[in-house]
Parts: sequence; C-alpha cells; structure tokens
Amino acid sequence: MIASTIENRDDLVSYLNAAMSLEHATIPPYLTAYYSIHSGTNSDAAHIIRVTAVEEMLHLTLAANVLNAIGGKPDLTRPGFVPSYPAYLPDGEDDFTVDLRPFSPEAVETFCKIERPGKAPSADSRLVETPDSRTHFLVSSPTAEKMRFYSIGEFYEEIIEGLEKVAANDPALFHGDPARQVGPEYFYSGGGAITVVTDLQSAQQALRFIAGQGEGLDSGIYDADGELAHYYRFRQLQLGRYYQVGDRPDAPSGPSLSISWDEVHKVKVSVRLADYPAGSELARVARDFNADYGAFLALLTKAFDGRPDLLQEGVCEMFRLRDGFNRLVCNPLPGSGGLHAGPTFEIPAGAGPDPGVSPDAGATDETARTVTR
Amino acid sequence: MYAKFPKGAAHRTDPGAAAEVLYDAVVVGGGISGALVALRLSEAGRKVLLLEAGPAEDLTLRGYERYLDRFYSAISKDNQAPYPAVANAPMPRGTDARRITPGAPDASSYIVQSGPFATDTTYTRVLGGTTMHWEGKALRMLPEDFRMRTLYGEGADWPLTYEDLAPYYSEAEREIGVSADVEDQAYLGIGFDEDYVFPMKGLPLSYLDRTVAKDVDGMPVDLDGEHRELRVRPFPQGRNGIPNPAYDGGRGYVPRGAVSAYQVEVGERCQGNNNCVPICPVQAKYNAGKTLALALQSGRVDLVAQAVAHKVHVDESTGRVTEIEYRRYDRPDSPGHTTMRARGRLFVLAANAVENPRLMLASGLRGSSGLMGRNFMDHAYLLAWALLPEVAGTFRGTICTGGITDLRGGRFRSRQAAFTVDIHNDGWGWARGAPMTDLIGLVDSGGRYGESLRQGLVDRVSRQLQLAFMVEVPADPSNRVTVSPDFTDELGNMRPVLSYNVPEYTMRGVAYARQLSRRIFARLGAEDHTAYDPEFWGYAVHDGEGYEIRGGNHLAGTHVMGREPSTSVVDADQRCWDHENLYMVGGGSMPTVGTSNVTLTLAALCLRSVRAMLAQLDSETAPIEVTTGRDQAATTSGETAP
Repeated sequence: MIASTIENRDDLVSYLNAAMSLEHATIPPYLTAYYSIHSGTNSDAAHIIRVTAVEEMLHLTLAANVLNAIGGKPDLTRPGFVPSYPAYLPDGEDDFTVDLRPFSPEAVETFCKIERPGKAPSADSRLVETPDSRTHFLVSSPTAEKMRFYSIGEFYEEIIEGLEKVAANDPALFHGDPARQVGPEYFYSGGGAITVVTDLQSAQQALRFIAGQGEGLDSGIYDADGELAHYYRFRQLQLGRYYQVGDRPDAPSGPSLSISWDEVHKVKVSVRLADYPAGSELARVARDFNADYGAFLALLTKAFDGRPDLLQEGVCEMFRLRDGFNRLVCNPLPGSGGLHAGPTFEIPAGAGPDPGVSPDAGATDETARTVTR
Repeated sequence: MYAKFPKGAAHRTDPGAAAEVLYDAVVVGGGISGALVALRLSEAGRKVLLLEAGPAEDLTLRGYERYLDRFYSAISKDNQAPYPAVANAPMPRGTDARRITPGAPDASSYIVQSGPFATDTTYTRVLGGTTMHWEGKALRMLPEDFRMRTLYGEGADWPLTYEDLAPYYSEAEREIGVSADVEDQAYLGIGFDEDYVFPMKGLPLSYLDRTVAKDVDGMPVDLDGEHRELRVRPFPQGRNGIPNPAYDGGRGYVPRGAVSAYQVEVGERCQGNNNCVPICPVQAKYNAGKTLALALQSGRVDLVAQAVAHKVHVDESTGRVTEIEYRRYDRPDSPGHTTMRARGRLFVLAANAVENPRLMLASGLRGSSGLMGRNFMDHAYLLAWALLPEVAGTFRGTICTGGITDLRGGRFRSRQAAFTVDIHNDGWGWARGAPMTDLIGLVDSGGRYGESLRQGLVDRVSRQLQLAFMVEVPADPSNRVTVSPDFTDELGNMRPVLSYNVPEYTMRGVAYARQLSRRIFARLGAEDHTAYDPEFWGYAVHDGEGYEIRGGNHLAGTHVMGREPSTSVVDADQRCWDHENLYMVGGGSMPTVGTSNVTLTLAALCLRSVRAMLAQLDSETAPIEVTTGRDQAATTSGETAP
C-alpha cells in the first residue's frame, strides 16, 4: 500500500476543493445532453439525465458542507473551477474524454464511464501515474504530483480515510461555523438528502453518499434507500428497459423505455466560442450564457459562504440558464455543417463574488492549486 | 420520495376473476375519496376493489406527460383540456355552459341543465379524479360553518363539530402534503393542536399579493356592527414546499413527488409554473394518484378501470347492498361493453356529489328522507378586475397564493353569504381570457409586433388585478340532481339532470362583494374595468344590478349528513341510513359548504369514516365465541373471508 496523500487539514481542503470541482464538472455534460433533447420527446431519457444532474448538484453541496465544516471557504469562481471541455476522467483507461455532447449513444457511453463502478484491483493501485501528455484530468491528486485516481469512488475513499487520520490528531478539525451549512430544506427533486456536517461521522456519511449514489459502490444496483445508482440509470438507456428490485445488473426486467435518437438538436460536440461567427447575434447569446453561468457560480459561492438562503434565488437563475440553453441549441451554427450551437462553458474572468476578506486565507491559497487544468 | 405504481396496476385485475371475490369493500371512484378509503382499508389488512370509470392508462410518467402534451396543444386551456374525453364515461366541461331558456333544459352536454340558472361547474372523470385539475387550495372550514343553523338561522348544522373533525384535518393535511404556517391560518376560531405545524412551510405570497397588501392591509370594514381590518393572507396549499423539520414532533416530513410505474424523481417542490389548473407539469401539486400508488402497492387493492357503475343492487328485506353492477367498456372509443358485478361486505360510493346521487337515483334508490340528490351546493364566483397603477408582476407565481379571508365569518351571515377573496396571479385570465386576448388585441387591433408587442404585453398584463370572490351557497332542497330515462349516455347510463338557482342569500353576498371590490380598487388607485355582460350564460340580476356568476367545481350537499334519518341521507360516518353496508362519501355529505374549497374537508371526512368502516367490518366478521364445554373454547369466523 502506498502512503496516504493526505497529511493535514490543508491537504483535506485541497482535496475537498477538488471534489467540488469534480462534482461540478459532470453537470455541463449532463445539461448539454438534457437540453439537446427536443421538448416533449424522449421522456424516459430526459428524466434519467435530469435527475442525475440534479443529484450531482446535491453532491456539489455535500462537498461544500464538508469543506465548510473544516473551516474551508468554497469558491466556485476561481480560475479553472470549470474545466475546459473535453476533459479527461480517470476510470482506469486513458483513452476517453468527457465532452459536451448532444443526447446520443456516445453521450450515454460517456455517462456510463463517468459513473462506472471502479474499485481498484488493490489498495496500492488506487493512485496511478499520470501520463505526461495528459493535462485535463478531472480527478488528479492535488497533493501528489502527477498522480491521479483509479476512479471517483477511490478518490472519495482517500478523503474518507484522510478525514479520519487528520481528525485523530486534530480534535478541532470540525470548527467551521454551523451557520455556513446548507440544510436539507434546500434540496429536492432528486434522490437523497443534504447532510449537515458537524463532525467526522457526518462528514464521512456525506462523502460515502456521494460515492454510493454515483456508482453503487459495494451495494449493488440499488443503494440503501432503494435508489438506483447513476451508473445503472444510464445502463437502462443502453439496455432499453427499467430495472426493478431483484434484477441482475445485466438484465433489467422492468417496463421498456423508448428512445428516439433523432429527436435531438445535433449540438456541435464541445463547441467553443471560437466556433461562433465573430460579431454574430448567436455569438452574443453564447457569451451571455457564459456570463450568466459565471454569475450563477458567484451566487452559489455566496450561498456556500454563509448565505444558504440565496439558494432559493438560485432557482430563478437556473430557469434563466435553461432559457439560455434553449435559445442556443435550437439554432444551427453557421459553418459547422448543420450542427447546432450550444453553451461553451468558457467562463469569463471577473464573474466572481464581491471581494471580501477570507475567513481562512490558507484555504484560498490552496484552492489556487487547482486540479482541473 | 417517489411512490411507484405496481407494474400493470390498471390491467392486472381481471374483472371476471374479481367478480368471484367477496371483497371487504367495493369502492366506486378513483379520486381522492376513493383513494384515501382504499389506502386506509388496505393498510388495515382489508381487501378492496376499486372501480374507476376512466381508462386509467396514466400510471406512468409518460402517461401523465401525454396529459401535458394535450394541454399544451389545446386551444382552450379549460379545466378539462388535458384529459381525454371518453363518451363511455363523459364529464362536464366548463365550456359547455349555455344560457338556459325557461322551460327548455339544455341537454347539449353531459349534465342536463334544467336551470333556471346555468352553471359551468365541472369534475374530472379520470383516475385521480378532480384532484388532477384542482388548484390545491386546502383551507379548513371555520368552526361556525358547522353550526350555521344554530348561530345564524341559515343553512344547516352538521352532526359534527370542528373539534370532532380537527384531528382528521391534520391527517388529511399529511396525506395531501399541505404547505402553510399555523400563524397565518389560525383565525376566526380555526384552532390547531398545541405544537402543530403543517407538513411543509407556507408558500410565499406573490409580488402581486404583496403589492395589493401594501394598501389593503389594515383597510377597515364595518359590517353588522362588527369592525374588522382586512389583511392579505397566504392560502394553505396542496403543493410541495419546504418540508418543516418541526413536523410530527421533530420527525419532519418527506414530500411526495411524481408517481409512476418506474422510478422518477421530480415534483418534490413547486417550481412556480402558472398552470396548477388544469395540470401541474411536475406533479408538485397533490393529485390522488399519489395516494392510489401507495394503496395499490399494498397488494390488497384491485383496480378495474373502464368500469362505470350502473346499478346498486339492494336486498329488499334488509336494505343491505348486495352488489354493484357495472359496465366495463372494452375500448374508450366504442360503446361495446360487458356487464359485470362487484361483491363486497361494504360498498363505498366515492364518485362525487353529482355522480353519487346519480347512481343511486338511477338504481331507483331515492332514500326514505326523499333527500337523495337534493341540496346541491357549489360556490358562486364573482370576479372583479382592474388595472393597477404600476407594474405588479402579474403572471408570476402559481395561479393563486394569497387573498382576503376576513369576511369568511361573522354576524353578517344571518343576512348575507360569506366569502373568501382570491387574488389571481393569472390576471384577467378567468374573467377575460388573458393573456391570449391581450395578445390578440395588440396584434389585430394594435398592429404591434416585435419589441413593441413585447413591451405592450408587459404594460398590459403585468398591471392586471383580478379578485375572485368565492361566495357560499346554502343548502336548498330545490337545487338538486335527478335522472331521467330520456337522457342517457353511450353506455346506457342515465345522465345527471341538474336544477340550480343561486339563492337570494348568496346574491346579497355577491352584491356586497362587488361593493367591496370597488372600495379595494379605489384604495389601490386601480382602474376598475369590471363590466358584466347581460348575454353571459351565468348573468344574474339582483336589486336591479346584474352580475356574471360562475361555478366553482366545489360540489357538495347531495347526500347530506345529519343526526336524523328523516332529515339526512347519511349519518356522521357517511353511512346511509337506509343501507347499513353502504357509505356515500365525499362533498355530497357536507351540510354546508362554507367558504373553503371542499377537497380538504371531504378528505378529512373520508379519513374519519374509515374508522367506522373498519369497526363495522370487525363487528360483522368478528370471531364468535362458541363455548362447547367447561375447558373447551373454539373460535370461528362469522363469515369466511375468500
């Protein structure tokens, strides 16, 4: 077994910042696929993608709660928090990237890879070496250079063990202001609930929940609450049937679901602002979307900075983002062979929150050492 | 939390096989009443057959979304727009209402209207019933609503008090999932248990509500020597909000989202869409499907859909119901059907206040009191509309979030009807078809387009204020549902024939409501645009003034409950005086309709009646002790369960 990469509170802060970045990084691909679906069609697929995206928002919030509990300061506006798509994801293979794709078999394949159960063959293979040529990893170790995790599940296992180790030496580890915690009243329309984090036990519970809801780690296709893990939700789209209790992973036996791959706006894969005709109205809408998205991340940063009530305002802002998505995806992108426009998630600098004094300068220094670029 | 319908719930019960079973209870109607009764009986281990007249193919999220698609593409966005019209189980539609010529009943639509007053009142005959299209207002009745005759010499007294029903109100609020704050809802004697909180926190008032409140809060009203000050108050709503962690002694509440045959997570919180009526796009609004899904999961409830009750058969000597004969149609679009029978120990008619008496009267069961079908009640709605001096954000929020409830009770009720006032977030939608009519006006008459059209619409609709006065209608025996062999539907079932007039007592309340609306508009500096059209089908004249009166779909009173068999159809448990194993449940049992939307109250009544049903089942099937010797005791069941 290799040595732990988490030695102290600062390491934990780095890891939890990385966790927030990772959880967020899955949301733009899910939303791109979701909003590419023609309104009123592909109901089964739309619901599966939607609920997964919503639960990733829960995971983001849970990671923020753990970070706040140990006195960190979540910042979703720091450079590099939003990855540049396509981005690599470690699943034991080095040959696939996470793109922003319209709903398609390729997109579903990627979602399965993101959420695939990935237990390392042994504890000492949890961390694997990063090939030099790859730079865009979603989950690399923030503390051990050039190392990345075998899977998202292993990444969280490292934090869960690290929390225990640091807490044993630092009784005051969980000294964060409880008023900064986001409570269960702010999450709905998905499986699971928000855990308020105040101690080691609640912190580990929150992180185990994230890992379990994504991949069904150790617990089969359903988790303890009877919820299907994300991986198996997407498998339903590949296998054409819903799972029901008692099913084997390879043979769902529930109602059949129907998919029409053609009822989709063919959004250009991982479209960039540079693909838009300069000065066009469409380019303006794409830039507006990115600015709105940046402002939304700034709002979330404030919410995670002691103003959880702002999450209610966030609901209206999410409707605004939905409208932005819809404005883009229904338009062909000139010069792209009939492919459609879509948000690029290139967030302009300066969309950050009001400058303020950080309650914990050490934490913000750590966050600068970002993991996604 | 999601609740799953068992796979094939609507079709797995073979009606032929069901005919061979003696059920503990046969329930007619898959709306909120039938769903609650089926759920509670099945929880107690009882076996239930539920007969639903509609096709009930809507147990998946996709099925529900087909309702949405139909609604989105419908030109008329009325209450029934999302729901399929099935000739075998027809339903009234708000757009059916026609002016009635004296002496000539209007038989052009499902409910035959004898008049003299025409109504557009509706109910929805699909699985889930009228809760599919209801708005979700879940007001408790006032304590004084239960004692109208004693206190004010008007209407009737209930055989129950508010205090008798209060625990069941709490239970109904849990089942429906009501969002409200006790401090807003404790008024005019409405009492709550100490430490009670609603399952979910109150939903916020809309910006429009708050704009109105700025000027209306504190407005003095003196009536019959009583002084009061008006206040804009949030309504309790059967829509999911923020769960209250203090609920249930600190155990909290888990909202119930959308239901489906497979796992879905949506609808656990209201998103502020503005079409609660006729359908919530995400199922954040309660519908009885949520209760039915739980009932069907028990495995003790069989559902037979496309089953229209035709006749209640009674044993002449005992008066007990022996079976319900129903017509099961094979396809929604053809009248071909099979006559089937359903047998049970108890029978529960949960169809609604029109269909319940219709079925009884069609079965020749008029009741020894002669009151079957009589005392039909609804609410009479008077609308008043105006333009506010400033943009007030109309059309934001759900259809209705707040209103004025201070005139729901008081001494004036000995003379004139009480009312609740709704502030409508959908502007002049109900009165004049906004915003579509505004759009058409700006385009056709104004020649507007582009930016100017958008701005014109904002200027016009965002200042609209519509007040809806929901005026109580007292019981009147001549307002009634009857049947006639001259009027039948596709399956040969007799259609309801409605005779209805708005009582003078109600019209005095209507006239006062109009006066009050003028005062409110004046206080707001709003431009009164209210004008009542003499050609309107529901035009009614009182003291020389004409008003447009609309129906409220709050059906009540056609099998009223009471203390005496001579003055009522059912007892306080909703059990028929004439038929000891027959319960007629729902709004029809209510002796007064008060000033609250009826769903919460009829749900509470059903939950209360379940207790009596279970006691009756226990006593009629209780083990009988037969002592055969000093130290031998055998028990045997009174009747063997199938």
